[in-house]
Amino acid sequence: MKLIEKKHLVAWGAFLLIMLLMPNFVSNGTLRIFIFANFLAIFAISWDVLSGRTGYISFGHPFLIGIGVYATAIMSKRFGMPVEYSIPLAVLITMLGSVLIFLPALRIKGSYFALVTLAFMELAYQLVQVVRPDLTGGTRGIFGIKTLTRGAENGFYMSMSLMFAVAFSAWLIMRTQLGTALSALGMQEESLEGSGKSTTKLKLAAFMLSAFIAGLGGAFYAHYVGAIAPRTLFDINFLFTIIVAVLLGGSGTIIGPIIGAFFLTFLLEFLRPYLPGAGRYFIYGAIALLLYMYQPKGIYNLLEKLYQRWRGGAA
Amino acid sequence: MTQIIIQGMLLSGLYALIAIGFTLIFSVGRVLNLAYGAYLMIGGYVYFYISQQLGLPKGIGLILAAAVGCLAGLLKYRFIAKPLKGNHVAIEIATLILAIVIQSAIILVFGESTKILHSLVPGIVRLEGVTAPWSNILATGLSWVLIIAVFIFVRQSHTGRAMLAVSQDPKGAAICGINGEWINMVTWGISGLLGGVAGVFFASYTQLSPFMWVGPLIVTVAIVIVGGIGSIIGTLIVAHIIGFLEVIVVSYIAPELRGIFTMLLIILFLIFRPRGLFGREELA
Repeated sequence: MKLIEKKHLVAWGAFLLIMLLMPNFVSNGTLRIFIFANFLAIFAISWDVLSGRTGYISFGHPFLIGIGVYATAIMSKRFGMPVEYSIPLAVLITMLGSVLIFLPALRIKGSYFALVTLAFMELAYQLVQVVRPDLTGGTRGIFGIKTLTRGAENGFYMSMSLMFAVAFSAWLIMRTQLGTALSALGMQEESLEGSGKSTTKLKLAAFMLSAFIAGLGGAFYAHYVGAIAPRTLFDINFLFTIIVAVLLGGSGTIIGPIIGAFFLTFLLEFLRPYLPGAGRYFIYGAIALLLYMYQPKGIYNLLEKLYQRWRGGAA
Repeated sequence: MTQIIIQGMLLSGLYALIAIGFTLIFSVGRVLNLAYGAYLMIGGYVYFYISQQLGLPKGIGLILAAAVGCLAGLLKYRFIAKPLKGNHVAIEIATLILAIVIQSAIILVFGESTKILHSLVPGIVRLEGVTAPWSNILATGLSWVLIIAVFIFVRQSHTGRAMLAVSQDPKGAAICGINGEWINMVTWGISGLLGGVAGVFFASYTQLSPFMWVGPLIVTVAIVIVGGIGSIIGTLIVAHIIGFLEVIVVSYIAPELRGIFTMLLIILFLIFRPRGLFGREELA
């Protein structure tokens, strides 16, 4: 089997085309929902590259995203740095920050690793409010960050192209030997080591890739919304949204997290008229829990099965 | 100085109280129940509903809080821990999702606003110029009683010793005729019960809010990690270390930094000494 087949490229092309034409068909309100879905998809891909593949479950992804968000917000708002510099720098800083959660991964795994990352997130939440509040804006966060786009349509194109670029590159990378090795890391770390691969290097690669995507997504997100606050960022609910998007869509795939992110964002919007406020998360969480318990491979796997059954029936 | 000792003792007692149930479940099932914080919340809200909205006696509120917490624990075992048996990470993720579901269910029923709980025993007492609510003193006393009770239960009773056996070697325990599933279920039930009771006290110490589960969950995780898996005495000691650290930080450094040492302790211990201070990989 060839690694990159024509049908894959056709599918990616069709996906891009549909997304590009989207603003012609839907209202600006729907576009704004799409923007959030795009960002969530980026964060979900970032989580999946690390946790979905290697099995090192990160409960601290908001920590990485938060570094990217805060770095660019502080540099552009407080020091007047142009966005062209602040975003790449923020991505770099996020990757450096990910070393902090990479080092524990050398010693511990499983539940313990997840807990360390969770502790990092809470630590960041508390520190950001007290250390240099003149820079971080303390509890209230930072307002009036320079926004890159104006209007729903531009925002949509920006977030969509970013999401597509991230998804397609991640997909290409996962098709290489590196991707295979990362999945192998998740299955049997010991035997991978036995086959002469350096698991440390592989882990580092996964963390760096994940942090790169998280930082990129976070930085652009900061310049889209224009205002950030610690409680919405370093938050267990935010973490929950990211993880659930991946698990619902299907972890260990690229398209899965995208499906999950879109499904969740639109589910929330669909529920808005019936259940305003945080009560919507009840339905959303219940669906997530049921699917996770009974369909742990996610929607993508479900669709694949249906497709195969349909083809089997036709042939 | 006296002030710090009194406040430290009270806070530590409260922390020990909320950590016992988590220790039990972590020791026997080796499962991180991230929805543990939600037991506290359930306990607090049941008490609120019974004693403040229905106006029934507070004692009934406390008993029902314990009962509902116990029920929640049993349901959680039956529908999450048992089907996902052995897959610890999956249980963690599932309990995290469950915690959010419970949080939003509470928002649906009681709304998002915080509520003040009338504590079990009203009034405050002055000790050496420090004001201490009776409820906190009661919580501290109760935490000691419960910890000793759990300790004796695990050491002396048949069920408790079976728990110990299951935590050390599930297969060996099964060969000896111990029904591991039953023991696990009992443990989840007791853990929920303790959580429900602790929730009533914790909520009267802080406030009742749908988001109150994260803070105590992290404190509990810290206590169990630093104390060492399965060490009940470790839980008691570390609850005091963390409680006193927090009080000292609040009085001498800055109130905003109160949780930072807790987080640092978790990170450092998990990396450098994952079995904790008193961890002997067994219960008691």
